[in-house]
Amino acid sequence: MRGAPGHRSRRLAVALVMSAAGSLVAAGPASAGPPASPDDIAFFRAQVEPLLARRCLACHSHATERMESGLALDWKSGWEQGGDRGSAIRPGDPDGSLLVAAVRHADPDLRMPAEPLPAAEVATLVEWVRRGAPDPRVAAPTAGDWWSLRPLERPPLPTNAARANPLDAFLDARLAEAGITPAAEADRRTFIRRVTFDLHGLPPTPEAVEAFVADTGSDAHERLVDALLAAPRLGERFARHWFDCIHFADSHGFEHDVFRPHAWPYRDWVIDAFNADLPWATFVRAQLAADCFFPDDGPVQAALGFLGAGTYDHSAAVTAPRSFENLDRDDLVTQTMGALASTTANCARCHAHKFDPVTQDDYYALQAVFAGIGKGDIEWDADPAVAALRRKWRRIADLAATAPAALLALPEAALVADWEATGQGRAVWHPLALATFTSAFATELTRLDDGSILARGTPPEREVVTLTAAGPLAPITALRLDLLTDDSLPHQGPGRAPNGNLHLSEFDVRVFPAGAAPRAAPLARASADFEQSGWTIAHAIDGDPATAWGIHPEEGSPHHAVFVPAAPIVLAAGDTLTIALRQVHGGAHLIGRFRLSATGGDPDAAVALSAAAAAALAVPAADRTPDQAAALAAAVLGPRARGELARLPAPQKLYAAAATAVNERGTVRIDPPREIHVLHRGDIDQPRAVVGPGALSAVTWLPSRFDLSSGAPESARRAALADWLTAPTHPLTWRSIANRVWQWHFGRGLCDTPDDFGRMGGLPSHPELLDWLACEIRDTGSLKSLHRLICTSRAYRRAAHAPPEALAIDPDARLLGWMPRHRLDAESFHDAVLLTAGRLDDTRGGPAIPHFTQRPGAQLTPILDYDAFDLDSPGAGRRAIYRVVWRGIPDPLFDALDFPDLGLLAPTRGSSSSALQALVLANNRFVLHNARALATRAAAEPGTPADRIAWMVRRAWLRPPSAPEAADLTALADRHGLEAVARALFNADDFLFID
Amino acid sequence: MARTIPRRDLLTTAGGGFGAVALAHLLVREGWAAAPAPDPAWPLGGLHHPARARRVIQLFMNGGASPMDTFDFKPALEKHHGEALGPKEKPEGFTTPAGTVMKSPFPFARHGATGRLVSSVFPCQAREVDRMAFLMAMKTTTNVHGPASYMMNTGFMLPGFPCLGAWVSYGLGRIVDDLPDFVVLPDPRGLPYNQKGNFSPGFLPARHQGTVVDLGRTEPIPDVFAAAPYPFAHGAADHDTLALIQRQNRRHAALRPHDSHLEARIAAGELAARLQLTAPSTFDLATESAATNSAYGLDRPETADFAKRCLIARRLIERGTRFVQVWSGPQGAVNNWDNHGSIPKELPPIALSVDQPIAALLADLAARGLLADTLVVWTTEFGRTPFAQNNQGRDHNGGTFVTWLAGAGVKAGATHGESDDLGYQTATGTTTVHDLQATILHLLGIDHTRLTFRTAGVDRRLTDVHGHVVSEVVG
Repeated sequence: MRGAPGHRSRRLAVALVMSAAGSLVAAGPASAGPPASPDDIAFFRAQVEPLLARRCLACHSHATERMESGLALDWKSGWEQGGDRGSAIRPGDPDGSLLVAAVRHADPDLRMPAEPLPAAEVATLVEWVRRGAPDPRVAAPTAGDWWSLRPLERPPLPTNAARANPLDAFLDARLAEAGITPAAEADRRTFIRRVTFDLHGLPPTPEAVEAFVADTGSDAHERLVDALLAAPRLGERFARHWFDCIHFADSHGFEHDVFRPHAWPYRDWVIDAFNADLPWATFVRAQLAADCFFPDDGPVQAALGFLGAGTYDHSAAVTAPRSFENLDRDDLVTQTMGALASTTANCARCHAHKFDPVTQDDYYALQAVFAGIGKGDIEWDADPAVAALRRKWRRIADLAATAPAALLALPEAALVADWEATGQGRAVWHPLALATFTSAFATELTRLDDGSILARGTPPEREVVTLTAAGPLAPITALRLDLLTDDSLPHQGPGRAPNGNLHLSEFDVRVFPAGAAPRAAPLARASADFEQSGWTIAHAIDGDPATAWGIHPEEGSPHHAVFVPAAPIVLAAGDTLTIALRQVHGGAHLIGRFRLSATGGDPDAAVALSAAAAAALAVPAADRTPDQAAALAAAVLGPRARGELARLPAPQKLYAAAATAVNERGTVRIDPPREIHVLHRGDIDQPRAVVGPGALSAVTWLPSRFDLSSGAPESARRAALADWLTAPTHPLTWRSIANRVWQWHFGRGLCDTPDDFGRMGGLPSHPELLDWLACEIRDTGSLKSLHRLICTSRAYRRAAHAPPEALAIDPDARLLGWMPRHRLDAESFHDAVLLTAGRLDDTRGGPAIPHFTQRPGAQLTPILDYDAFDLDSPGAGRRAIYRVVWRGIPDPLFDALDFPDLGLLAPTRGSSSSALQALVLANNRFVLHNARALATRAAAEPGTPADRIAWMVRRAWLRPPSAPEAADLTALADRHGLEAVARALFNADDFLFID
Repeated sequence: MARTIPRRDLLTTAGGGFGAVALAHLLVREGWAAAPAPDPAWPLGGLHHPARARRVIQLFMNGGASPMDTFDFKPALEKHHGEALGPKEKPEGFTTPAGTVMKSPFPFARHGATGRLVSSVFPCQAREVDRMAFLMAMKTTTNVHGPASYMMNTGFMLPGFPCLGAWVSYGLGRIVDDLPDFVVLPDPRGLPYNQKGNFSPGFLPARHQGTVVDLGRTEPIPDVFAAAPYPFAHGAADHDTLALIQRQNRRHAALRPHDSHLEARIAAGELAARLQLTAPSTFDLATESAATNSAYGLDRPETADFAKRCLIARRLIERGTRFVQVWSGPQGAVNNWDNHGSIPKELPPIALSVDQPIAALLADLAARGLLADTLVVWTTEFGRTPFAQNNQGRDHNGGTFVTWLAGAGVKAGATHGESDDLGYQTATGTTTVHDLQATILHLLGIDHTRLTFRTAGVDRRLTDVHGHVVSEVVG
């Protein structure tokens, strides 16, 4: 491994020093003794080695880079040399060995580990020492010396490769070594059922089966596989595999198991990504940091749903935020490293990983990657053009508010000149003749000579002033509200709050036509000469009485706002215009003196200009100072930007995680990112050193701490992790996905612990093949090419019948001398029942379909009733991938068929059988309802009753019935009808299992 | 002791064939069938050592039952009533900053030969205190319902881990074939916090999941029988169809020898038919005497629901279900033990609803001899603050709370641990949630450090890497 030599030489130096010291202290290093017997070695491997790994190596091994008191117990030399106290073991002499004394807790100064070992484990260690401490671990350990951390290099093909699919070359070599003659090829009927379920999660139609059986072409299998790979059902199948790996579901889980209505765009993105055969590196990068890598590509933003896939403890987020955030980041680290790199990095949260080279620093560096995001809805535009427009106008609106000078450098600055050239900003206002003006709180309102209205007396806490004007009136294209100062007001007003401020909650316009129902006159936009920070004029027309327009700290001078209705307001004789000035914020934040006027001119000319902008407008363009030009640009482009934004289609929402996201708690902002400390024993109350974003230091040739500039956005952290993961030299990423693809086809990975390639995981059955496949994905990026290689291999075509002599050699079929048989997973069963009953609805994408009715629960979690679901409702026939997956309230049908608990990652589906499962399959409404549907269709088929039964069997089992089966089913039909037959067909293992 | 794929064992033990002996072994080991007659040395079974208890009824008070208003008398609360002695900053998981010290509104009196102090909200349980062993200083790791309920049920604060009942099912298998081995009886008013996550098998095989029984339905166990609109799945039609399915599956398996999954499916079909025969009578209370019904409180509206579920729990246990969990209180702001608003108003009605049924259950189990091999556990997810909230309520507090055990293997009358003067934190003899779980497993003949399942690179245990058996309450 690159980087290892330096490490090894440092270790060697340590060993030499300790060796010298040892010879001074004790009677020389412990003798190696006679060679250990095979029995002793077996005893060590079976009992002692796992015990040491479990109890000692966290603090005494190279893998964890911790050798407390200088003692390493991960190889023979380690305990021979011993630590600070000398040799840990005197072979053959338990009572004279420090290690035995330590685990016996006999000496108060030497008690290891802190928590006493069970007596049986102490006895094992004593027995081992008594036997002379046989220990075959003579090679020096290094941190990275483990198969999954070795550099990935494409192994040469075995010599038989010329004539075979490369996969068969590897597999056949091992079968030959083991002396296994593989099973014969499966017949075509079996093959098409197998490969269609595998690639689509659905059975073929009976017609497709017959066509394939009749296809005499030598490349029939290849053509079939290619056709299946090209169909969109492929993505629907493989997306669910991926969702299991990342525990994606449609609700939070935990106490408040709230629905996530915007989780589905991610589901659709994953389906599309698999169908489009998105290169794996792109798939990874988009999910971790689409906002950084592809900021201009709207649809790809949906990939960020990956970050929101897991659970969310709403209650803890509110009442215990520190522990919540720690565990929420932990979940993201677990998900990312487990699903993308098959590494249990999360085991290093409380202490260095006990078995794998993951330090606590590494773990918290991974937490730091996600330290700036929180779960919730983000917004995203499906149409890239809309996304670009939204970005542009948002930026202009931001600049208008915060840095107007920057507007002058934008192309849109030209719009200011256009606006001015067409005479805008110079609307002619006419005072509106008010018929009445009334206060809801009996405030004294006086009309002054200039037509303005002044409030007097003790101000109420809140106020609603209603103004009316009688028709006929000339069409009104804009209304202007002037707020005027007066000596009678605090600080001359124009407000009545002690500081002269006011808060206009809503500016509400209605028309009362003569003899007809009143109607609201919706406002398209509003502008003001000045806006208090956070109290903008937009708040006065947002329909939310909790928000308002304010003028602090610019009290003491007049202000004005302009309101543009969506359509000109026309009042005929007898009509009445009503305007309500709602001022409900409280604290006497009320208008002291105001005047209302109207215009019928071009509404684009009706803009409230800031004092500076108004002054600038009075100066000829050529003579304006840069400040004046900027003020005018802000006054023109700010409202323009808000208008443009309002006209854009509503953005797509997506449940994800981001620096700013919206959830039940409102807008949650984690900006700047949290400072991440190493937590002693994982305890949030014991913070140690600060760590920056990074990854595993065991991959020595990739930078494990990310070099990000101090001004880098939060997304750069995630992007850096994505870059680290997708480096072509990464030892884990490519092996991880290659192994998963293999598992998705054969039911079991080449390494059968798909989320753990560490020392507690399984060893790959065919390491060279796994590396070859990993290189293939790394070099092509294509999952489809891997699917094709696998599905066209001879191994994949084999029958599911184990040759008896092969079964004795390889009972678990690890060598794939025959095809492992599988039970249908929950989704495949559901979808196959629908297809067989003729009720499958192939609609793709869109919001998830609930398979339940719901009513409000005691708190945020609703009560779901799966039994009350209308099985004939629209969408009820859609594929299971489109159903709502409610984490804490699972569908009993799916539950019975081993649909996983998505509280945790679930990379491997169970396949259990039980009496309750048998009863669910027999009696669940979904099965019975579709049994009835199949029977109804069968009843309409021509022919004899026997013909109809044969038709049903061909649909359900994709083969004709045998004579005994036909007789049995016919007898059942005679007594209980075709519905009973359909029920039996769905419950038979012929339907439920795939050969 | 991770369990491995059974097929390998079977083929080894059966010499490559797949005989009846191997199948029986498989069915027992994988929880599909009852164990054979017990070893005389281990009359109650057990996995690692002879069991003291064979079955468990767990009574779960959802929401956080207040210790200082029930079993943990704290005279210091009277002395310091109204004083601001609580933490200045809101601790993690408190819903509001701590209020002033609040004494219990209920009088305490001594009961039983042990002279145990019990408040006036539990007059009936007070008569049974000599049967119980009290863990007076239970501690958990969080003050939030969801994680705390997960902790008490699964040993982890996070979702996705198997619950105690599932671990027991996995470790010990069934006692009988014709009833589910792990049954959950939630409050009919609603599921607890975490919904069904509390009953999840997590990463254990699905057959170890809790069977959620809803006594409000015609068929309390879902899908044992078909719904009314499907007559072709009832009566003789059902019988004949299920029989045909079994015949067909045998034909199918005969063509595919040596497949344990197919054999298991056939075995499951046999058990399903037997479960259909047993289930209805289990839930039929007509055979219970009026005296029994009345003793449990079925005849009083305040207690009827919990009484019914306690009685069903006894019937399940009696017929061979291994683990029954009975919940008091749904999630939410009312009708449970989460008494934020007012201890004097909210605690008495929920306490009343369980008190008589629990006392009757203990007496009934004892009278029938079932207490000799049945463990009863009364617990909750955390305690409550000695500080007032909303005037007379109490906030969440994982610092100290009470659990009691009774029945098989329990040292009746024992007390272990003490909370501090105010009842805010444990003082001596702290029992962690993992300690309680280790103790329950121990009584069932299971070493909690050796009941493991390998998943995602870790040999997972119910007790994570913690837990000590509390020998002080083991009889």
